[in-house]
Amino acid sequence: MEPAAVKALAAVILAAIVAIVGVLLGVWWAPFVAGLAIGFVQPRARFAVPAGAAVGLLAWAFPLAALQVQYGAASAASSLAAIMGFGHQGAIPIVLTLVVGALLGLTGAWLGSAARTLAYPAISR
Amino acid sequence: MTFDPAIDASVKKQTSGRRPRVAADRGSGGTSRSRSAINLLAALIVSGVVLYAAFAGAGPLPALGPAFNPVTGAWTMAADAAVGSQTLHLAGLDKPVNVTFEADGTSHIVAQTDHDLFLATGYVHARFRLFQMDLLRRQGEGRLSEVVGKAALDSDRFELQLGLLRTAQAEWNAASQRSRDAVTAYAQGVNDRISEAEANHQLDAMFTLLGYQPKPWTPIDSLIVKGDMTQTLNFTDTPLVMALLQKSLGADLTAQWVPTIPPNPQSPYDPGPYPPGASPAPIAAFSQVTDNEAIAAADAYQYLASLPAGLVATGGDSNNWAVAGSRSASGGALMAGDPHLHLTLPAIWYQLTMDSPGYHVSGVSIPGTPVVLIGHNQHISWSLTDAQNQQTFFYLEHEDAAHPNQYFWNNAWQTYKTVSYDIPVLGGPTDHLTVKLSVHGPVITERGQTTSVWWAGNIPSQDLDVLLGIDQASNYQQFRDALRGWYSPTHNFVYADDQGNIGMISAGYYPQFAAGQPWLPMPGTGEYDVTGTIPFDYVPQLYDPPDGIIWSANQRQVTPDYPYYIGTASNFFDPGYRANEINRVLSQATSDCAVPPCLSKLSAADMMALQTDTRDYLASEIVPILLRAIPASPEKDLLASWDYRMDVNSPAATIWWTFWQSYLAATFDPYWKAHDVTVARSDVNDALGQDLEAWTLGDPNNAVFKFGGSSNTATDVMRLAFASTVTQLTRQLGSGPSTWTWGRVHQRVIQNLAQITGLDYGPRPDGGDANTPLAAPDFPSSHGPSWRMVVDWGAGTFQAIYPGGQSENPASTWYDDRVSAWFDGKYAAMLTADAAAKAVGAKTWSLLP
Repeated sequence: MEPAAVKALAAVILAAIVAIVGVLLGVWWAPFVAGLAIGFVQPRARFAVPAGAAVGLLAWAFPLAALQVQYGAASAASSLAAIMGFGHQGAIPIVLTLVVGALLGLTGAWLGSAARTLAYPAISR
Repeated sequence: MTFDPAIDASVKKQTSGRRPRVAADRGSGGTSRSRSAINLLAALIVSGVVLYAAFAGAGPLPALGPAFNPVTGAWTMAADAAVGSQTLHLAGLDKPVNVTFEADGTSHIVAQTDHDLFLATGYVHARFRLFQMDLLRRQGEGRLSEVVGKAALDSDRFELQLGLLRTAQAEWNAASQRSRDAVTAYAQGVNDRISEAEANHQLDAMFTLLGYQPKPWTPIDSLIVKGDMTQTLNFTDTPLVMALLQKSLGADLTAQWVPTIPPNPQSPYDPGPYPPGASPAPIAAFSQVTDNEAIAAADAYQYLASLPAGLVATGGDSNNWAVAGSRSASGGALMAGDPHLHLTLPAIWYQLTMDSPGYHVSGVSIPGTPVVLIGHNQHISWSLTDAQNQQTFFYLEHEDAAHPNQYFWNNAWQTYKTVSYDIPVLGGPTDHLTVKLSVHGPVITERGQTTSVWWAGNIPSQDLDVLLGIDQASNYQQFRDALRGWYSPTHNFVYADDQGNIGMISAGYYPQFAAGQPWLPMPGTGEYDVTGTIPFDYVPQLYDPPDGIIWSANQRQVTPDYPYYIGTASNFFDPGYRANEINRVLSQATSDCAVPPCLSKLSAADMMALQTDTRDYLASEIVPILLRAIPASPEKDLLASWDYRMDVNSPAATIWWTFWQSYLAATFDPYWKAHDVTVARSDVNDALGQDLEAWTLGDPNNAVFKFGGSSNTATDVMRLAFASTVTQLTRQLGSGPSTWTWGRVHQRVIQNLAQITGLDYGPRPDGGDANTPLAAPDFPSSHGPSWRMVVDWGAGTFQAIYPGGQSENPASTWYDDRVSAWFDGKYAAMLTADAAAKAVGAKTWSLLP
């Protein structure tokens, strides 16, 4: 792997860690900020935007998985589905949760990337 | 060095001789910049939309970020559902407190001081029921709109108009030191939990989803919760109904069909003798209602009818009874109680035991209040049913254009007082409400004739202090003395003790009048005002009766000889079928006895069987007569072999119930149409049913059956109604009458308190009807035995169950874990704290200062 790719990957991993820690500390919008940073640092939007989405997804999925391991999340998922009017289709709130996390990361990265393109057109792709 | 791989890459590409991208784009730099700007704009817009939805929500969606993130959002209900042993620190505690939870969540609080007991109770209530508590106080304080929007505005306006908040504030100002100490400590415990939950992101998911945080709990809030219960049990619109009936049907028919004294066979528990020196109120005969009075009554009636369910009492269903030691198999007193209320998840009840130097009490409490309302202590047990006497009265204020904003009372013009409220509304402007108050109470309509309402629930009372006194009582005298201060809602308090004694007191406020017709709206000029209440010594009550049994089921407690006005047959009192059935079962003779009276010895198992009994007493009276009236048919055969039980698998039960509704309709609907009665007949079915029962049993040639000049008798109308029944059921359920089982048409549902149907339990087929000891009115039924308790002082057993669970968290196993067992008629032992600590699955909290 080229050093540039390693650095890019390292940046994404760092952003993911920051996002997860932020979410665990109650800063649920941390994936947006992490995505923003990724987008601004990474010159290639085709890389930055999916990476931001992945970071957002991961940042919200990790604590959800931890919840499942520690307490079991099925009953909560089923209850949330009922509250939302989807019967007891527990998959729906799980998907919705992950989508919200991914969207936060994705939009952050897109916005960062777009800002970078405008600020540094010469080195953005 | 740069962290940007693109810059490194760009440098490499330049050194390899390839033309840099910047040069290639030079000619189209303006276009590229425009594209970038558009891209940024698009990113800004989409990000803005996502962030707005995440932070503020959109349409019906809550703020998605706070609501759904897995750490502080609604997902925390998963962690909240897991209750384990732990040590907690609570501000305000004097000494350590121990809380033991049974496997089903029943909590046992053991404190070293009374103060700590109430504080820990507040904490435990809030830990498992904070959202319910918040809804209850918001309902009474007119603050639901603040969190759910304008859908709740009618409820808020009415509550502030009626005055629960004003009454609670007055009660707090006059509270005894004992009550103040208890409620203040309780509020501290609730607030300890609120602080902890906010700090740890453990608030109930509903707070998260609705996007608000609970305000600190105050002592007033506890008094409001008590006010909510009073209102749902005792605030009635019956005088308005009576006025509309009287205007349309006329005074004669109304007096005949909705009499003060019920016309059907009744089982009053207090047969007298009554106080000879009492001077009964001079109640006038029924008179005509004027046009303006009718307009006012119609307006107020429609206003109250438009309010959400639960704000106006619509009849009560509860049972309780006691059996003296002389009549029990164990030799000790037996007691049974099952208050019938709207069945919800979470339930209105939270089960616990409270142990401290001053209190040793076990039973159920209402979250938001620091007392056991129904239960037992070391020496006595008690339960309650609604006494149903009239506690709501309407006054027509006399006004004059020459005296604006005034009313005439006690020979002088009085100025209305006014109170103003601001009601915050989620998503809308704040609503401003001004309430006009006469000496009688709040004005509820100014159409036709200004009408105000006098309600006993608005008399500041010390009911919490009464309950604290009951919790501490150890004999009948102390129990009775405590009840002297009870005002509203009037309840039949049943009693049994460890010495084999039993008793019943219908404690509360019984308004009396110097003159007038209190079952109608009355002139507000002063002559017809409430003059006081029946003296406590003269309210219905009974102690250690010779036959060893006492029962109440919302029936009229006294015989026609009772010298005080307490209400009419309409709505205020139950028709009496449950009371008759309970009396019948408790009075049953046994065949293996040589010396009469051969009354059977009763056991706790008998009490449980009676609480879940589906025998319809009215059916047992009417069906034999019906069988003589109708020709042979498969439907008749089913009724002929029926045991009068409204069981799920009984087709006869379906035929009976449908027949009785058809019989009521065939008898009364022609009059309703002819007189253009604006009150739904179903609103007075209880009173009309008593009439129809009495006429069928003893006056089949009554003129009511001869509408339009016909020569019909009860037999003719029954025959017509039965034919209509068969036609209706064939159309509804098919042609095979043996398949018309009750369970196909009669279900029960336990509704989620926040009206989230996906969190309901059921609907599920269930037995019983409105008239059976196992009460299950309506289709589907959402009202019934909210708590069943059976005490056997001889055997030392205390058993109970309620249809719900200890936790309001739907992800918790304690959300609805008791419902199935409740449907099956099962009970759980009410353990002591020591026994609970040794039980399988017990968990313990150590609460430290």
